[in-house]
Amino acid sequence: MLISEMDIITPQTVNDCLLILSKKETEHRIIAGGTDAVVRMKEGKWLPSTWINIKGLKELRYIKEINGTIHIGPLITHTDIIHSSLLQKKANILVEAAREVGAIQMQNMGTIGGNIGTASPAGDTIPALYVLNAAVELQSLHNKRLIPINLLFTGPGRTVIKPNEMITNIIIQPQTENEIGIFQKLGPRKAQSISIVNVAIMLSMAKDRECLGGKIAFGSVAPTIIRAKKCEALLPLNPLTDDIIENIAKIAWKEVMPITDGRATAEYRRDMASALLERGLYRLMRRWERK
Amino acid sequence: MKELNFTVNGSLHSVSCHPAKTLLDVLREDLDMTASKECCGKGECGSCSVLLNGEVVCSCLVLVGQLENEEITTCEGIGLTANMDVIQESFVEEGATQCGYCTPGIIVASKAFLKNIDQVPTIDEIKTALGGNLCRCTGYTKIINAIQMAAKKELQEKGAMPAV
Ligand SMILES: Cc1cc2nc3c(=O)[nH]c(=O)nc-3n(C[C@H](O)[C@H](O)[C@H](O)COP(=O)(O)OP(=O)(O)OC[C@H]3O[C@@H](n4cnc5c(N)ncnc54)[C@H](O)[C@@H]3O)c2cc1C
Ligand code: FES
Ligand code: FES
Repeated sequence: MLISEMDIITPQTVNDCLLILSKKETEHRIIAGGTDAVVRMKEGKWLPSTWINIKGLKELRYIKEINGTIHIGPLITHTDIIHSSLLQKKANILVEAAREVGAIQMQNMGTIGGNIGTASPAGDTIPALYVLNAAVELQSLHNKRLIPINLLFTGPGRTVIKPNEMITNIIIQPQTENEIGIFQKLGPRKAQSISIVNVAIMLSMAKDRECLGGKIAFGSVAPTIIRAKKCEALLPLNPLTDDIIENIAKIAWKEVMPITDGRATAEYRRDMASALLERGLYRLMRRWERK
Repeated sequence: MKELNFTVNGSLHSVSCHPAKTLLDVLREDLDMTASKECCGKGECGSCSVLLNGEVVCSCLVLVGQLENEEITTCEGIGLTANMDVIQESFVEEGATQCGYCTPGIIVASKAFLKNIDQVPTIDEIKTALGGNLCRCTGYTKIINAIQMAAKKELQEKGAMPAV
């Protein structure tokens, strides 16, 4: 398909969009902010005959609290996340992750649905969504299903989303009073850079440095985002002193299965996974003590 | 080919082209507005920055078929030689441009940034706001100075800061 022959259609409602997706005649792909889609179109990787432009679907741009959970529409941009007072208060780790996406230009256009849809192992909002126990709602014309985020991705760029489905909602569990979270990222440049390694850490704290448990999700060190279960198992055993933090971080290399690519070698990624975890836990403890 | 309607710098334009053409190419080729520059073509350098409904975006990553009834502002719309914006005047005064290739994109990004300030931004704030704009010539110091100068002038005009 030549770019000059591609069509773009703009459905006016979610239902219109699902109807188009349900038809098989054309080879189509959704475009939201386009920050991944247009780059891949230019690279010749994504060349659908029709782009389904959902950027203007206001129905899918919301952040609201419902029965103790937070619902985020897939068309919420990274800028929307950064400016949301609800998320700042109850899901700050997602705000920290959105701040790390690209630079202002990408944050204004790029959406959370697109970040999930691209399914990059380096996607910055995804580790944050893991530790917030996110579930992603997939809708087709006649069906709706809710997939826990850890079951959504099957490999780099691959998800269980079917061709006739779209993301219509992302549901997260808000952080509680005694939960603290942090997102850490290492990229080649401060802005506009894809993560070499990133990590989201969420801890449930008792008093002082006593930790009741926690979740650690690494990005860019395996075919999909991974939870560091061995590190997590060590969190509640001891107060998180600086020495213990160093020990937990040391075993991070056992959890990760990185590859060498244009951005970094596998060995460097291993070392940096440990370093980011150590730095993250250390900074979290400093924040907790100041709280 | 499709007929597409959108507003650029306050006036309504109707362009007939293929819908998957980038806004950047349409601006330069169909509308003869050449302030926005192509450099990387993939969102990394910011030289193609324009305002879409007031927010700064990379026009090299926006497809024109997505723009029906939207509003775009390019550097031309911020000011031309005869009616320069405060930001542009400050760039001239400070000597914040050399080859000039990055400048229109930086002016656009600065315009969006300075719209929301209530005090002169710090160097770090400016670095974050302009993180998506690369310049190969100036070393950034003069760009940062020019933006601070423009901020001062704008705040003085608004009466939020005493004139010196
Ligand atoms: C210069 C540059 C820097 C970047 N930096 C970062 C970074 O630091 N961190 C990071 O994580 N990402 C980064 N990105 C990638 C990108 O900006 C993000 O992944 C962004 O969130 C994608 O959102 P979008 O709306 O632009 O997606 P689009 O490009 O519109 O779509 C991406 C994919 O998701 C699918 N999709 C979109 N919405 C839906 C939906 N509702 N349902 C089903 N499928 C859907 C599309 O079909 C497509 O396959 C960068 C990109 C560029 C160009
Ligand atoms: S040309 Fe658009 S960001 Fe470089
Ligand atoms: S002045 Fe030459 S690139 Fe900035």
